[in-house]
Amino acid sequence: MIDLKVLTQAVGDLDEKTILTMINDFVATNPSGEDAQKVVFACQQGMAIVGELFETNEYYVGDLIFAGELLSKTIDLLKPVLSGVASQKIGSIVIGTVQGDLHDIGKNIFGSMAEAAGFDVYDLGIDVSPSAFVEKVKEVKPQIIGMSGVLTLAIDSMKNTVKALNEAGLRNSVKIIIGGNPVNEDACKQIGADDFTTNAAEGLKTCQGWVK
Amino acid sequence: MTDAVTMTNERNQLFRDLFSGKTPKRVPVSNPATQDFAIQYAGLDLAECQWDLTKLEPVYDKFCQDFFTDTYPGGSIRIPSHYQLLGSTPIVMSSSGFMQHPEVVGLLAEEYDEFIASPYDCIVEKVLPRLFTELNGAPGKVAMSLAKAMRAQSDDLAYLGTIRAKMNAKYGYAGMIGALTEAPFDFMADFLRSFKGISGDVRRYPDKVAAACDAVLPLMIKKGTLPNPSMLGYTFIPLHMAPYLRDKDFATLYWPTFKKLVETMASMGQNVQLFVEQDWMRYLDYLYELPENTIMRFEYGDAKLVKEKLGKKHIISGFYPITLLQTGTKQQCIDKAKELLDILAPGGKYWFQADKSVINFEAKGPVAENMSAVLEYVHENGTY
Ligand code: B12
Repeated sequence: MIDLKVLTQAVGDLDEKTILTMINDFVATNPSGEDAQKVVFACQQGMAIVGELFETNEYYVGDLIFAGELLSKTIDLLKPVLSGVASQKIGSIVIGTVQGDLHDIGKNIFGSMAEAAGFDVYDLGIDVSPSAFVEKVKEVKPQIIGMSGVLTLAIDSMKNTVKALNEAGLRNSVKIIIGGNPVNEDACKQIGADDFTTNAAEGLKTCQGWVK
Repeated sequence: MTDAVTMTNERNQLFRDLFSGKTPKRVPVSNPATQDFAIQYAGLDLAECQWDLTKLEPVYDKFCQDFFTDTYPGGSIRIPSHYQLLGSTPIVMSSSGFMQHPEVVGLLAEEYDEFIASPYDCIVEKVLPRLFTELNGAPGKVAMSLAKAMRAQSDDLAYLGTIRAKMNAKYGYAGMIGALTEAPFDFMADFLRSFKGISGDVRRYPDKVAAACDAVLPLMIKKGTLPNPSMLGYTFIPLHMAPYLRDKDFATLYWPTFKKLVETMASMGQNVQLFVEQDWMRYLDYLYELPENTIMRFEYGDAKLVKEKLGKKHIISGFYPITLLQTGTKQQCIDKAKELLDILAPGGKYWFQADKSVINFEAKGPVAENMSAVLEYVHENGTY
C-alpha cells in the first residue's frame, strides 16, 4: 500500500516525479474508492504544507501556481479509481472567474480541491458574465456558486452577478462563496455573498459545512 | 527664445543632471496618469478615442494644462489598430476599452531546444504565428496583414508624435526619448511560456530556462538600444517575475541575464530605468550591484531603507501610492508627498513618480484634484 506520509511530504516538497510515480503505482493496483479517497486526503494535507511554506516566505506565488497544476494532474490520474465512489458525490458547485477578470489560477486550485473532495464541479472558465452564471445555475441546479476574482473591478462584477441571480429568482436556492485576493468581509457584505475566503482549503471547509 | 523653449532647455538640464548623478536644480516630476486617464478625464469614450486618434489632441491639451509635469505625459501606449490587424492574442482590448494582457503561451515546453538553438528563427516561425492569428496562414495573406498592420502602426505613431511635438512646443517638456525591453526571464514568461508555464518550467527544467534566457539576451539588448546612446533618454525595463520566485531560483535563473542586460546598456552609455514591480525588498543587495545611476522606480517597499541602501549609488523613484489619491484628503495626499521628498530628495538622485500608473478616472472621485495638488506641491517644494 502507498505510504501516505511520504506522499504528503512529496506534495509539500512539490516533488513532481515522486508524486506521479507513487500515484501511478497506486492506480495500477486497482484500489478501492475508499483507499483512493485517503490518497486524495494525503494530497490535500500536502497542499496545506505548501500553504504554510507560502505563509513563511519559503514558497512564493510561482510555487503556488505549480502546486495547483500538480494537484489537478494528480486528481486526473485518480479519477478512474475515484469514480467507484461517484455515488457518494457530496454536492455540486458552479465556479467561474467573474466578468472582466481573466485570472484563473486561484479558481483552478479551488476547483481541483473541491473535485477531489467529492463535489461535482462545473467550471465556467474566465470572464464569466452574470447571465452565464444564471443560465448554468438554471441548468444544473447546484447547491453552491463559487466566484473568483483578483482585479479590484471583480468586486463590482460579483455584485452584478448576485443581482442577476436575485432577479432570476435563484439567489435563495444557492449558497455563494467568493474567493481571490481582494475579497474581504466588507466586500462580501456589499456583494451579498454568504461567505468569502482568500484560502482555497478554508473555502472548501465552508462548502463542506453547507452540504452536510 | 520662446518661454516653452526655455522651459524645455531647463528641463533637459534637470534630467541631464539627474541621470549623471549631479543634484539638479529641483526634483524632476512626472505625471503618473496615462492616456487612458486623460481620455476619460476629457469626458470621452476610451475605446472610441483609441480607434480614432484625431480625437486625442484636445484630450492631451487639457491633460497637459491641468497637471504639472516635466515629461510628456503620454508614455507606454498600446495602440489597438495594429494589434487588431494582426489578430493579436497577447494584447487585446477589454470590453471597457482598456488594453490588457491575458495569459498566452507562445512557445511549447517541447520547443525549448529549438528556441535555444535559434531564438529569432523560432520566434518568427513558431511563436508569432501562434500568438497573432493573421500571421498564421498562406505567405501571401500573412504578407498583406503585416503590411497593413505596419502601415497602421506607423500612421498612428506619426499622429501621436505630432500631438506630442505640439504639446512640447506649447508646454516646454523635456525632450526625452525611450526604448523598451524586458529582462530575459520576464520575456520568456510574458510572451513565450506564460505565468503558469514558466512556474512549472522553473521546477521541471531549470537548465533549459537558464539556457533560453542566455539565448534571448542579445535580442533583448537590441530591443532596448536607443538610436543614439548620447541622446537624452533611457531604456525602460518593467520587471515582472522576480517577486514570485524563490530566492534560489531568482539567483540562478532571473538575475544573471538581467544583470548582463543592464550592464550592457550602461556600457553603451545609455541610462536605464527599471520599473521595480511588486515587492523587491528581499533583493536590495542584488540591485545594489547594478551600474551607478541606474534609475529604479519602486512600486512597493520601505523608502527609507531603499534610500539608505541604494540612494548614494542609484537614482530612486516611485513609492508614491496612487491609491491614496483615491481615498485620502488633499492634505493627506500632500503630506505623503512631503514625507517622500524628505526621505528621498536629500543628496539628489530622486525623481518624483508614483508607484503605479493612474489609468482610471471617475468624474465624482477626488483623484484629479488630489493628483493636481500633489504635482504642484512637488514642483514648488522640490527645490534644492
Ligand atoms: C499571475 C498574474 C497574472 C497572469 C494571470 C495568469 C492566469 N492564468 O491567471 C497574467 C500575466 C496573464 C496577468 C494579467 C493581468 N494582470 Co495580473 N497578476 C497575476 C499575479 C502575479 C498573481 C495572481 C495569482 O494567480 N495569485 C495566486 C493565486 C493562487 O491566488 P488567489 O487568486 O488569491 O487564489 C487563492 C485564494 O484567493 C483562493 N481562491 C481564489 N479564487 C477562489 C474562488 C473560490 C470560490 C474559493 C472558495 C477560493 C478561491 O484560492 C487560492 C489558493 O488559496 C497578481 C499579483 C499578486 N501578487 O497577486 C497580478 C495582478 C492580480 N494582476 C494585475 C493586473 C492589473 C493584470 C492585468 C490587467 C495587466 C494588464 N495591464 O494587462 C492583466 C489582466 C487582464 C484581466 N482582465 O484580468 C493586478 C491587479 C490590480 C488590481 N487591483 O486590479 C495585480 C494585483 C498585479 C499588480 N500589483 O498590479 N496577471
